[in-house]
Amino acid sequence: MSIDYSKEFSVIEGKPTLAEINDLIARPTETRPDRGYYIALTITLSMLLIGIVCLGLTFYYGIGMWGNNQPVGWGFGIVNFVFWVGIGHAGTLISAILFLFRQKWRNGIARFSEGMTIFAVMTAGIFPLIHVGRPWLAAYLFPYPNEHGIWVNFISPLVWDVFAVSTYLTVSLIFWYVGLIPDLASLRDRTTGKIKKLIYSVFSLGWRHSNRHWHHYEMVYLVLAGFATPLVLSVHTIVSFDFAVSVLPGWHSTIFPPYFVAGAVFSGFAMVQNVLIVVRKIFHYEHIITIDTLEKMNKIILLTGSMVGYSYGMEFFIAWYSGNPVEQFVFINRAFGPYAWAYWIMVTCNVISPQLFWFKKIRRTIPVMFVIGVFVNVGMWFERFVIVVSSLSRDFLPSSWRYFTPTPVDLGILLGSFGFFFTWILLFIKTLPVVSIAEIKGVIEGSQIEHHAAEDSTSFRPRQQEGM
Amino acid sequence: MNNSKNESSGKDYNYWRSLKELNNNPEAFDQKANEFMKGVTDDFEISGMSPVSRRKFLALLSASVAFAASSCTNYHSHGEIIPYNKKPEEVTPGIPNLYASTCTGCSNACGILIKTREGRPIKVDGNPDHPVNKGKICAIGQASVINLYDPNRLKTPVAISQEGNSSINWKTVDEGMIAELEKASSSGKQIAIISGRISSPSEKMVLDNFIAKYPTARVYSYELFENGVRNAAWNRSYAPGSFPLIQWDQAKVIVSLEGDFLANEGHAIENIQMFSKGRDGFLNKDFNRLYVVEATMTPTGMAADYRLRLKPDRQLDFVLSLMNEIGERTKSSIKAPSGTSSLKDFVKNENMLAGTVEHLVQDLIDNRGSAIVYAGSLLPEDVHVAVNALNEMLGNTRLYRTDQAEVLQIPFAQKQDLENLVGEMNKGNVQVIIHYDTNPIFDLPQDYGYADALKKVPFSIAMLEQENETSALCRYALPISHDFESWGDFNTRMGIFSLRQPVIYPLYSTRQKEAILLSWASGDSKFYKDTVYHDFIMNNWEKGLFASAKSPLDFRTFWLTALENGVVVLPENAPAPAGFKAASLSEIKPPSKAGRYTLYLKGNYSIGDGRYANNGFLQELPHPVTKVVWDNYAFISPKTAEEFGLEMNDMVEVKVGSRKQEFPVFIQPGTADGAVVVELGYGRRKAGEVGTGTGVNANILMSKDAPVTPFIYNDAQIRKASGAYKLVTTQEQHTIEDTRAKDAHKRRGIIREGTVDEYKKNPGFLEKEEREKISMNKNPEYLGVKWAMGIDLNKCVGCNACVTACDIENNVPVVGKEQVDKGRIMHWFRVDRYYSGTAEDPVSYTQPMLCQHCDTAPCENVCPVAATTHSPDGLNQMVYNRCVGTRYCSNNCPYKVRRFNFFNFRDHFADGYYLQEPVEMVYNPEVTVRSRGVMEKCTFCVQRIMQARENAIEENRELKGSDVQTACQQACPSEAIVFGDANDPDSIISKFRAHNLGYHVLVDLNTRPNITYLAKLRNIHPEV
Repeated sequence: MSIDYSKEFSVIEGKPTLAEINDLIARPTETRPDRGYYIALTITLSMLLIGIVCLGLTFYYGIGMWGNNQPVGWGFGIVNFVFWVGIGHAGTLISAILFLFRQKWRNGIARFSEGMTIFAVMTAGIFPLIHVGRPWLAAYLFPYPNEHGIWVNFISPLVWDVFAVSTYLTVSLIFWYVGLIPDLASLRDRTTGKIKKLIYSVFSLGWRHSNRHWHHYEMVYLVLAGFATPLVLSVHTIVSFDFAVSVLPGWHSTIFPPYFVAGAVFSGFAMVQNVLIVVRKIFHYEHIITIDTLEKMNKIILLTGSMVGYSYGMEFFIAWYSGNPVEQFVFINRAFGPYAWAYWIMVTCNVISPQLFWFKKIRRTIPVMFVIGVFVNVGMWFERFVIVVSSLSRDFLPSSWRYFTPTPVDLGILLGSFGFFFTWILLFIKTLPVVSIAEIKGVIEGSQIEHHAAEDSTSFRPRQQEGM
Repeated sequence: MNNSKNESSGKDYNYWRSLKELNNNPEAFDQKANEFMKGVTDDFEISGMSPVSRRKFLALLSASVAFAASSCTNYHSHGEIIPYNKKPEEVTPGIPNLYASTCTGCSNACGILIKTREGRPIKVDGNPDHPVNKGKICAIGQASVINLYDPNRLKTPVAISQEGNSSINWKTVDEGMIAELEKASSSGKQIAIISGRISSPSEKMVLDNFIAKYPTARVYSYELFENGVRNAAWNRSYAPGSFPLIQWDQAKVIVSLEGDFLANEGHAIENIQMFSKGRDGFLNKDFNRLYVVEATMTPTGMAADYRLRLKPDRQLDFVLSLMNEIGERTKSSIKAPSGTSSLKDFVKNENMLAGTVEHLVQDLIDNRGSAIVYAGSLLPEDVHVAVNALNEMLGNTRLYRTDQAEVLQIPFAQKQDLENLVGEMNKGNVQVIIHYDTNPIFDLPQDYGYADALKKVPFSIAMLEQENETSALCRYALPISHDFESWGDFNTRMGIFSLRQPVIYPLYSTRQKEAILLSWASGDSKFYKDTVYHDFIMNNWEKGLFASAKSPLDFRTFWLTALENGVVVLPENAPAPAGFKAASLSEIKPPSKAGRYTLYLKGNYSIGDGRYANNGFLQELPHPVTKVVWDNYAFISPKTAEEFGLEMNDMVEVKVGSRKQEFPVFIQPGTADGAVVVELGYGRRKAGEVGTGTGVNANILMSKDAPVTPFIYNDAQIRKASGAYKLVTTQEQHTIEDTRAKDAHKRRGIIREGTVDEYKKNPGFLEKEEREKISMNKNPEYLGVKWAMGIDLNKCVGCNACVTACDIENNVPVVGKEQVDKGRIMHWFRVDRYYSGTAEDPVSYTQPMLCQHCDTAPCENVCPVAATTHSPDGLNQMVYNRCVGTRYCSNNCPYKVRRFNFFNFRDHFADGYYLQEPVEMVYNPEVTVRSRGVMEKCTFCVQRIMQARENAIEENRELKGSDVQTACQQACPSEAIVFGDANDPDSIISKFRAHNLGYHVLVDLNTRPNITYLAKLRNIHPEV
């Protein structure tokens, strides 16, 4: 094999002109939604409606509408929360960490995955509020000055959660918005509709593609990427503290932070991969979000999947190695007890299925990778289910062991969370460019000054052309 | 002031009231000119106005309000009502009043103290002055307070017809009834009174008066569970009279044959107290040894050192062969009847544990005179005769009590009496039948044909608190007052007379049943008044008891003292036992030929004979062995289940003779193979909203002509039936079969145990746990009082009195079967049950479990809103107002003692049953009623601690640990629970904590719990 490592391969296939890119990426925002879009929206809104009805029942009657019991105090509410926070991990990882590492292939997927992050964190953020017994008092979870002089309990991981998740959402939102500004300006320039123009004008903050703007922009983007990077690691670390800090066998484990972060990246990439496969097909972005990009994502899924698999094994090892009978029982019970079905779904989906990505053919075959992506997300949901429910259902005193069975309301709210998430995705893809126009232009072959690449002068400094 | 003057003065002095006015804005002057709305100042026409003057209107208004207010309440009938414009001497708002009274939940008539707050009873506890129950009562007694406020109580007299029920008034009842009774007695037709056990001397006099007035009246007294068999056997073995009670505390060896004396037989509370004196791990190293031979696991069986399984119809053979063996070894003059099989053969045939039987025989022989063999009340008379002989043979009669003996006011009706009654009813010779707070339609075996006969009685009456199966077939249902609304006196033990006094005016138009009969006995329909029975008892006491007591007091003082104490004790001793009649043994009939399967019907542990079916607290009380709530079922052994392919929750059909019934299956470890055991009292068809349809009616399997006893059928046929049932337990049934979970309670240090022998040899055999562990956090210091609890596992028999006491004290809601199934029972205090050993012969453990009030409580760290915190006196506190309900605390609690309000359980159970009037009156006003979405748990009865602290401050002294008694501690009959100040070196609790047997559950977690358990010791022979 002779590969010329001195030459960078373009992450974009072909060599589209800048105008073509503008047209292609802006088109979904400029055309009326078609029938397929309305059908999709109807489906997601119906799911959302089911979720709202179930939530209404929960608010009216109480958490008793769910399957939670003694000893399983946390059920679907927390499972869904951790699941959605996990989904929200890929976005910032792609847009910030890969940005810092100068991974140009990220440019095609960063915008979308970051949008997804925000929607996933928004979805996740619902759960801590609705899972409490008295949601109308959820404000008690925030430290606010009050006449009683009561603060929150700063040593409770749930308080850390409040800060971690709200910080993450804020930073992600800002990072995403800053990245959107040049594109919003482009859309403003293109649009003819009066209202749209007004909206885009307001949100593009007077961007005029000037050199000075670009200079500041790049600086801010870099700084924000720096801000966001530790958050990628911290959020799920702190979510894992909800479990790791407790005394419960099966939760009380030092491996949780890296294990949770790996798992979050794992599920986040699977979700990005899944949705992008659909988006690139519908919007004809195959040459922007290339098979190469998807393959790279699959490699990350393979890596993180293996890390997750390693963690599963390590949990068992430590349980045995610790000599703690309760800990040992919890893990044996996971694999062979009443929740063995959930455990083996998890292992099959999370550990076995991504190993198929060792095969290049599978990494590059869309239907297969799509199915594996779905498997990974199913598996990761079950991972949280196994951790939360199976540990709680059989803990220290055998007298209080009890099986947890979800109710239709639990399932309805889970469905509703998907409805909520995908409704936002659908609204997003019709109102904002799902791929960063500016960043894609930066990675077209020849767009950057190279030492030995003066042959194509037309593509030199594309951004100034854009500005005119 | 008129307009013009106003205007001119404004101009003259240039006063101004607004800027507009000052600036001479014409608008302002316009406004001022028209001070009144247009039309208001117009002249009005008098003729157009209402003819009612203002004065007249006000007069009418006040008159009608007064009229409405006075007519809505018939307050004159309640006597004089005086508002609290001056504080009554005996009532201080906020301070409870305690009144001594007597519980009539069963026929034991325990002395009780009723706690009332601002006039409403809220809690019942034992009366410490009562010489029998000594301050303790059972779970049923604890829960009986809720019956007072049962919304399903009958509120007025009711005439029952097919078109529906209609309320009538007492005047009609009295007039009609007296006429009817007179007609019946003059025409020579029988008046039948079907009563329960009569324990009251005055009540007996009422009945005597009634019979004197209406000579055709007859009283039929019966109870589903009574000691008739025991008395009859005593009669055969010795002499007519009452069987003796047993000095359980003196016994070294106790052999109980199907005798659940620690749970629902005899005076269980007294038995537990005496029995646990012989098992005091805190004070003694000498333990009694309990052998139990029984068909299925009972609380007594769980407490046993050695336990053998045997079908109840085989008990006779067992006792006889035991006599055979012991007789041979001791060369006794009393011989087992000839033809008795040898013990060896019997043990082999019945597949019993030969080693255990050998220990039993040897222990009985070695402890002659200080051992006791006890047979269960439901066993046949012959078994009791044989047991009497066995005790005689071993000299165990020394343990019969002479200080006390049972008293029966009216002998029970025998089978013959009831058969005659039904015959007379069918012949039309019974004119009037009065069900005197009884439910024979449900209780009596169906083959009496009582229901059909009742239809032929022209005038049938049921006196009861709420409608039942019997009242549905009667013409009139008369509401009777609850215990707490009634007067009464009781004498169930020789020389012990206790009083029952009302603590609240009847809530509804009810009368106490004795007063109803008394007024009918007077023949005067206007005779009744509120105080009629009170006067009657006082009169009786003055003439009878007061005279014989030879008290130096005057009668009024004597009476008031008796009321205050609740009990009067006269020096009366049990008669000396007569000589043993050895001939009685030859009367023993050989047991009838047995089939393979035996049906054994026995009493349950919570709802009595079914009369407490409508009490949600009792229905939701976990069965002491199975932990099932709201149901009864067929206990069968794992082997028998396998034989029929039965699983838990399958249905099994049990057939005896022509009678059959289907029951859900409960596979109970430790059940005798081939035995099917069912608890009676369930399956009520008409028992109020709560009780109707809970469980399956097993009473219909009973027969008056049963070959063995009405409770034992050795020719039962069983087969698997179709369908499934859902039995709901508070504790999963898995640990004995699940090899991975087997003995988890021992391996995890939840239950720690040893043998008495081991303990005697090495008092420190129980490795002391390391209490001071390294901690990242600063361990809290408790400088003043530090509350802690100790529980002696050797004394606890799992009787559940503590659970109910806690429920009532702390306003714990009933959640219903479906919610218990989901794992949402709200009990703060639970009694855990564990098994070890094999499924055939398990060793069982009970362990009361409640909030451990850990010094470093894991729940406190994780609460995000600091709703659960630690108090300076060592309490783990729960701040309901602050709780948002994340349930994180519950997840992080290793003991899983926290309870979450998944719903507003008060309106959730059975569509708000407990929201109805007047249930809320039962709530303890000192304890917050928790709302939906809030976590709760044991508080160590913080309301009692606060009360004690207030008292100490008032009396200007230091608060002592002994000032406080928690509700569970107060209720515990065996005094297994101690509570107090761990910082006080002289307190019992600090000695408990330092005791050799003391341990803490899950100590490795460094939660530093404050409940110290004393390890369970089994008094078994050292294994050679």
